[in-house]
Amino acid sequence: MTVLFFCVLSLGFDAIAQTKLAPVDKSPLDMCYYPNNYPVLKIQNKATEPCAVRIIYSRPQKNGRQVYGELVEYGKVWRLGANEATELELYKDAKIGTNKVKKGRYTIYAIPYPDKWTLILNKETDIWGAFQYDEKKDILRTSIPVEKQQEPVEIFSMAFEKIDGGANLVIMWDDVKASVPFTF
Amino acid sequence: MIRKSLITLVLFIGILYLGCNQKAEPNPSRSPANSAPGANKEPTITVNIDKSPLDISYYPADYPQLKMSGNVKEPVVARLVYSRPKKDGRVIFGNVLKYGSRWRLGANEASEIEFFRDVTIQKKLIRKNRYVIYCIPYENKWTIILNNDLFTWGLKIDSTLDVYKFDIPVSKSQYAMEYFTMEFERQDTGVRLVMAWDTVKTMLPITY
Repeated sequence: MTVLFFCVLSLGFDAIAQTKLAPVDKSPLDMCYYPNNYPVLKIQNKATEPCAVRIIYSRPQKNGRQVYGELVEYGKVWRLGANEATELELYKDAKIGTNKVKKGRYTIYAIPYPDKWTLILNKETDIWGAFQYDEKKDILRTSIPVEKQQEPVEIFSMAFEKIDGGANLVIMWDDVKASVPFTF
Repeated sequence: MIRKSLITLVLFIGILYLGCNQKAEPNPSRSPANSAPGANKEPTITVNIDKSPLDISYYPADYPQLKMSGNVKEPVVARLVYSRPKKDGRVIFGNVLKYGSRWRLGANEASEIEFFRDVTIQKKLIRKNRYVIYCIPYENKWTIILNNDLFTWGLKIDSTLDVYKFDIPVSKSQYAMEYFTMEFERQDTGVRLVMAWDTVKTMLPITY
């Protein structure tokens, strides 16, 4: 009986100890670099330019929902992901559109509209979502183009695409693709 | 234009399907060349979720939420960004991960720890900074290493940039942890970094 009691007890403790640690998130975190896959290029000695920027963001899924205009409301600040506010870190001074941005760690948000988005860079880092977003800490606000995609993208995705003189940050989810031009 | 995008998208999915399958393997003995297909193929839109998803741990735990709700009681001390490989029925330690071989404490990119203030680990002063954190697992101890080779893929961390090394004991649990997990837990004199995967659990005490 005592043995059984201790077995149950230790089982209980172990189960508690296990469940206390974080499960994998429903909207898992991911990161993207420019140059694309910089860490891989680096270990293969194939990096032809220094690491310029990194984004850490959570990836919500469409799951049959209408994303824009419903789940993500038009005209409201959105954290460009889920969970923690999305983070953009510049390892060198850069230009976003025509705006100069100093190297550093920032949070990045968007205000989506049907025909364009407003992109926001803010200096309050290590924060959750856009719930305490403070406009006074904005570094920049700029308008970015969006286009409709025929094939909806299930999982919110971001990646840099190389262009002349820099890179476009491509943001895709559902049937919308937004592009942010970076010059390094 | 749309057709072009579609073709590109299909290509991405193809590349990434291959990429993800190989990318997440936590085995440190894999050659880097095998582990990163797609590295030279631009652009790479990751439309799939990684098999070993990235995660983030703060001390204080859930610091961003505390900040949001106005409940921050102490300033942020540390942040860890790491990928979480899955056990998937495998025996991890001494098998998938060889004893005495370097392991990136996660998967994919090298795991990254940032201290927002100076801290002390095993009587050594650790300067406020960002480091790569990796490990050499043995049956009864882990060697935890802080390193300056940031923004690298975890299979090739330049050990000449090691800055601190700590040996910590290993404890065994009856139950297996499915996903590799790292979290900070509060202690009387600071915090400890708890690392758990399969039936192995280790703790790195950090004081400040």
